[in-house]
Amino acid sequence: MNLQRYIVRRCAEIVIIFFVIMTVLFFLFRLAPGDPITRMVDPSMTPEEAQLLISQLGLDRPLAVQYAYFLGNFFRGQMGVSFHYGQPVVRIITQRLPNTILLFTSAVVLSALFGVWLGKILAWRKGDGIDTWFTIGALMCHTLFLPWLALLMIWLLAFKIGWFPLTGMMSPEIWIDSGSGWVAKALDVLHHLALPLLTLFIIHFGSYLLIMRSSMLNTLTEDYILTARAKGLPEQWVRDRHAAPNAALPVVTSVGLSLAFSINGGALTETVFSWPGIGRELVFAVSNSDYPLAQACFLLIAIVVLIANLIVDVLYGYLDPRIRYE
Amino acid sequence: MVTNRSYLRCVTCWPMWIMCLTILSFSACHRPGDGNILKIGLSEEPRTLNIWLAGDANSSKVLSQIYQPLYLRDPVTLAFVPWLAAELPTYEPQKRTYTVRLRKAVKWSDGTPLTAEDVVFTGRLIQGFQIPRYASKWRNVEKITALDNHTVAIRIKKPYATFLSGTMMAPIVPAHQWRAIAERAETSQKKLATLLNNEITQPIGSGPFVFQQWQRGNFVYLKKNPLFFASRQTIDGRVLGPYVNGLLFKIYSTTDVAVLALRKGEIDLFWWGIQPGYLEQLNKTPNVKVFQSKKSALYYMGFNTRRAPFNDPVLRQAVATLIDKRFIVQRILQGYGTQMDAVIPPGNIQWYCADVVRHGDGLSRTDRVRQAYQLLSQAGYTWKTPPVGNDGNIQSGEGLQLPDGRPMAAFNLLTPPADYDPHRAMSGMMIQEWLRELGMPVFARPMHFGSLLQKIKSNHDFEAFILGYGRLSLDPDYLRFFFISGNDKPRGWNMSGYRNPEFDRLAVQSESEMNPVQRRHIIYEMQRIISKDVPYLPLYNPGLLEAVRTDRFEGWVPMIDGIGNRWSFCQLKAVENAANTSSEKAKAR
Repeated sequence: MNLQRYIVRRCAEIVIIFFVIMTVLFFLFRLAPGDPITRMVDPSMTPEEAQLLISQLGLDRPLAVQYAYFLGNFFRGQMGVSFHYGQPVVRIITQRLPNTILLFTSAVVLSALFGVWLGKILAWRKGDGIDTWFTIGALMCHTLFLPWLALLMIWLLAFKIGWFPLTGMMSPEIWIDSGSGWVAKALDVLHHLALPLLTLFIIHFGSYLLIMRSSMLNTLTEDYILTARAKGLPEQWVRDRHAAPNAALPVVTSVGLSLAFSINGGALTETVFSWPGIGRELVFAVSNSDYPLAQACFLLIAIVVLIANLIVDVLYGYLDPRIRYE
Repeated sequence: MVTNRSYLRCVTCWPMWIMCLTILSFSACHRPGDGNILKIGLSEEPRTLNIWLAGDANSSKVLSQIYQPLYLRDPVTLAFVPWLAAELPTYEPQKRTYTVRLRKAVKWSDGTPLTAEDVVFTGRLIQGFQIPRYASKWRNVEKITALDNHTVAIRIKKPYATFLSGTMMAPIVPAHQWRAIAERAETSQKKLATLLNNEITQPIGSGPFVFQQWQRGNFVYLKKNPLFFASRQTIDGRVLGPYVNGLLFKIYSTTDVAVLALRKGEIDLFWWGIQPGYLEQLNKTPNVKVFQSKKSALYYMGFNTRRAPFNDPVLRQAVATLIDKRFIVQRILQGYGTQMDAVIPPGNIQWYCADVVRHGDGLSRTDRVRQAYQLLSQAGYTWKTPPVGNDGNIQSGEGLQLPDGRPMAAFNLLTPPADYDPHRAMSGMMIQEWLRELGMPVFARPMHFGSLLQKIKSNHDFEAFILGYGRLSLDPDYLRFFFISGNDKPRGWNMSGYRNPEFDRLAVQSESEMNPVQRRHIIYEMQRIISKDVPYLPLYNPGLLEAVRTDRFEGWVPMIDGIGNRWSFCQLKAVENAANTSSEKAKAR
């Protein structure tokens, strides 16, 4: 009952926060310097043509009227038409989002699984040579500069050794060939996915490893671990059933939020690997004052993060029965 | 413990598993593909396949292979060559009417004949919807009619010089595809927006290639058009193909990776200007050739002539004298560019005037300061500490005062940021130092490009700036609308607010002068006036560096604005084919 009430209250909060974010975003973009038309025009466009374009895009109306239209469209499920692509932003996002989820969500899940697993083991073997070397390695990976690593990986594994394609998400040669079946196409995407995934994995697993290791070390000093050992339980049982679930709480928050933010993609990763995801579009939309597209991308990120927060909070209750919802 | 170790071993092998799997998958699915497809690297995804919305360079690169104009330019002389048209248009002054005859065997890619009706429809569409970028070129057209299936009559409101270079350069679209779209847009509240935002998934064109597939964010594939009208025909002295089976446009977001792709042979051309920094590694790569072409581009420093202090031409001339363009080209552009003195780029051989005022050209640094000092002193400017001492030696000038005795206020030289264009940002810093030598309180200020344009174009809130045009048309009509008084308005192209009745008179004359020789004289005179009054100070014309693979295709046609032009794509041949053709010719001889 308490949990239900908590969820209802949080949902109401989410609606209010979302509305505030939506309003702030709307005015922030329009108050920012630069406007979409100035970037669109070239010397072959007269001021009259530019003015016509402004009126067609609805940018000549007062801000309050534009805002009213924006809200009206939003409640009708329309997010507007991209100034740059001339396409509904929902369509653009639905084209790009699966690519971002495929790369970034896979990267977060893989690196979290690996990081938590290894963190748990290293904490258990604290002080061993393996613990020292892996901890140093994790710290180094975590602090690597992503574009540098990405370019290095491309140069070494794709250009020099030739194991992977340089960039992109698919080989046109396979996709334009009418004889290619879906298996060949799926394998091709997998082949293109490997290098960016490996790069993101190297960058991210370290942070999960360190969080898990540190949390696990704290947990291992708890009395209930001593009790478990005193009961004569096998070491692996104590580690996996008693210590690890309790140590995983901070990692759940971190993974939950990372998963939510993973739909944001990463402008740098997507740019270097020419990966057609949301991150590149977001940067492009902001720098070209493509208000509808930028707003829609940010709103999507906002709503996913808000909901992910709620889910993480609710999950906490299940993972740690001591937590009460009030 | 043993279990832990085995876990560790398993877990740490993950990355290796991923690699093995993907390498296996690669070997399972890798296919060499059609070797006769030209692979082109683009820097960004094309915006659209809707020709009327496409204003970006990448959409134009793709769509220019599909939609064709009536005339093209010869790559060497830049003279007009009939393309969809059968001959150059004839003009009857009494009727103010041009007659354009079309080629008879032209077909759209769906097999429908291309007729005069399509040309008429295109003209009426542009005028009816006031399509940006095209409507201004058609505003002098009074009436367009089809006399028969292959003849179009175009009556104009008044004689104007840019009929061929402007009006006739519009892409012709098929009426049978666009009529329904136009009718639907006509009934909507925002008809232009509806037309521009109409998604075209299967463009029907008349060009050498036809659209086949677009995987968003990945590639665009165009196939050879078997119905291309110029196939195996001689036009402008060239036997045209296309000889390649298709064009594959791949998207690379960074030049670093695109250059690697070219070196590896993943692409045959990176269709984007390459920075000189990449030349060393490209020159060392076997089978890669770098073409250097002139660009129809202008990079310049502009002044706000609407208000003091830059409403004084003498001050602008003094600034021009202080700026060492050769230094900018040699040091900042690393020699890959040319110094500009006229507003029209030197590569535009039809209209470029070499006989313009070249402020301070060839002078040493100290002589420049002396000459600028002399100019300003004679015009009544004074200094607290003059840049030239009583003994004639150069010293650091301070406290420059205007002829009315007021000290010159500090001002900003606005430039795009270094991440947008390092050359302009660095040029701004150099110019700041040179002007300070004379005691001018100037601050080079790189700023966000959108804000910069808004400040200069819409708000006119600036003193001086550095901007550039990377894709100027080959017709010099821009000279008119950059500097004519009527365009001194918010969002107008006369950003400097330059007003000169003599220039205005020549500009109006240049618009209506139908005799090309007479028009050339007028355009030359306009360039001379601008070089003297300096509302814009042309700085440089960056060289265009493009790299191609030489082991795959040959037959690139160099031209102003690069080798990526219709002539190239219609003449390129796979290296083995080209070799076979030449050996066959040799045998025949």
